[in-house]
Amino acid sequence: MLTYILRRILLMIPMLLVVSFLIYLGLELTPGDAVSYMIPPDLGGQISPEQMEAIRESLGLNKSFIERYFIWLWGAVQGNFGYSLSGGVSISQIFLDRLPATLELSIAAILISTVLGTALGVITALKRGSATDITLTIGGMIGLSIPDFFFGLAALSFFALELGWLPVGGRLMPGYETFWDRLPHLILPATVLALSLTAGVMRYSRAAMLDALSQEFVRTARAKGLPEWRVNVLHGFRVALTPVIVLVGFRLPFLIGGSVVIEKVFQWPGVGNEFVSAVRSQDYPLVMMIALLSVLAVLIASLIIDILTAVVDPRVRL
Amino acid sequence: MNQHAPVRKSRLDRSFDRIRALEEAGALSSRVHNRSLRKFLSNPLASAGVIMFLIILLTAIFAPLIVPYDPLKIDLRALLQPPSAEHWLGTDKVGRDVFARILYGGRISIFIGLGSAVAAGVLGVAIGCISAYKRGWLDAVVLRVSEVFIAFPQIILVLLLVSILGQSLINLLLIFIATGWAPMYRMVRARVLSLREEEYVQALEAFGISTPVIAYKHILPNALGPVTVQITLSTAAFILAEAGLSFLGLGVPLQIPTWGNILNAANDMRILEQNWWIWLPVGLVISAFVLAVNFIGDGLRDSSDPTQQG
Repeated sequence: MLTYILRRILLMIPMLLVVSFLIYLGLELTPGDAVSYMIPPDLGGQISPEQMEAIRESLGLNKSFIERYFIWLWGAVQGNFGYSLSGGVSISQIFLDRLPATLELSIAAILISTVLGTALGVITALKRGSATDITLTIGGMIGLSIPDFFFGLAALSFFALELGWLPVGGRLMPGYETFWDRLPHLILPATVLALSLTAGVMRYSRAAMLDALSQEFVRTARAKGLPEWRVNVLHGFRVALTPVIVLVGFRLPFLIGGSVVIEKVFQWPGVGNEFVSAVRSQDYPLVMMIALLSVLAVLIASLIIDILTAVVDPRVRL
Repeated sequence: MNQHAPVRKSRLDRSFDRIRALEEAGALSSRVHNRSLRKFLSNPLASAGVIMFLIILLTAIFAPLIVPYDPLKIDLRALLQPPSAEHWLGTDKVGRDVFARILYGGRISIFIGLGSAVAAGVLGVAIGCISAYKRGWLDAVVLRVSEVFIAFPQIILVLLLVSILGQSLINLLLIFIATGWAPMYRMVRARVLSLREEEYVQALEAFGISTPVIAYKHILPNALGPVTVQITLSTAAFILAEAGLSFLGLGVPLQIPTWGNILNAANDMRILEQNWWIWLPVGLVISAFVLAVNFIGDGLRDSSDPTQQG
């Protein structure tokens, strides 16, 4: 098991190197001097051309491209991501500020959608062909087809503007400190995001459950005279859970990138919202860094999925 | 044996008798002879999807015959008017007819969705088919490149490319093709890798038929079923992506009417609260169109899968 995990991690490294190299290439090719986003901007005016040259020298900017890439990479590994072009805040600081909001929203959404989606998926699979199944399946298709941000806008206009039950957007108001204070702000975006993710989980777990129920060991269990609920839960559902774990695992990168559009609709101050403003103001260092971290999140998520499936299904380890 | 005992007919027997009678009268033979087409048409959701798809597509194409208004024409005497007999879906902030904008916007949105899905499909199929059949260094290189593309979350990669290339209709098409070819390629590759081991391929090789002919003429048709399904589903995904990007103001430039650009007005809380006719109908049209495409995709999946008989 340990060797399997180690081998998986080693396989990840070349991929990360390639992607980070491409990102660095993008940084070098986009407008803006590397020095200009490596020094804090409040010092910007006081630096003479000679000093700039000295910084270049000390940062090794007169070295070859490949050498510079490794210096940059070493800095990024240590948490030095450089400075954002607009505002000049260090990018690691931006992450520290924005990540908690995104994590809060996406963890809530992933939890709700996984529980709800699996439950509905299993119910529709068990009642295959019934009116419940058909209604929920068509409902799932409709859920997949409505743009999530349009759903968000409709919910916003009804629950926040029309009825006034919930706040319109944002996350932290002055004076609101604890989680309970900001819960009302979380409800609408988290529910909208969760419901738009539920349809996918439901379709997937329905298919997985149907697949599991058609297996021979389920028939054996039934032939042994086990009660129906034990057959469904212990034999069917347990097996059906593996592909569902995989699907949910693929949603994990979400934890970093956030749902870009939903964060925008609800003015949620997360990484996704920051990414949109960075793209709009062509703040390349920030854009590239968020992209790089989201790739890292995808790779780590697929690592976790592989390890989990290896734990559940020993054949994978071979 | 009690052959002569009167047989008590069950309800099932009676219904079989009825079917047999219909069959003998020739009423059951369908005029449509293609098995998968017949199967597709007998799926009520898929047929409903085709009808909805055609209605929206045709109204978009024949927009000038349906509404007299120019979607770009600003009318300062008719700002933010609610729906009326004159303007069926009202007017927007600068007095443009919303219904006209939805119809004309459909042209661009459908073109982007369908165009980039088909182009990404053709690209993925063209590369996947030959590289999977020939294997060797080409296959290894393209596989690694596709892995890099797939490592990015789609929306992040799209936005990253938008920030580098800038906003325009053509750029958006190119970006969707660049982000969409990899999944198609991987699907075709997996399919061709198993097909190339088939005996008929060995026979073709023994006859000395050239590699491209084997790959594209003899292997490809057997791999096309899942590809058409994937193209339909990506059409839906790209239409949603265009709407999302334009809503963020990062898709098609704002002066071109597209479904996403019409929704962009809903960024304004006042419009969201007071002028439902600007954002609600267009959102419903997008949902209906994407739903139609998803129904068609599901129908195609069921009818093109030979393991499902019927």
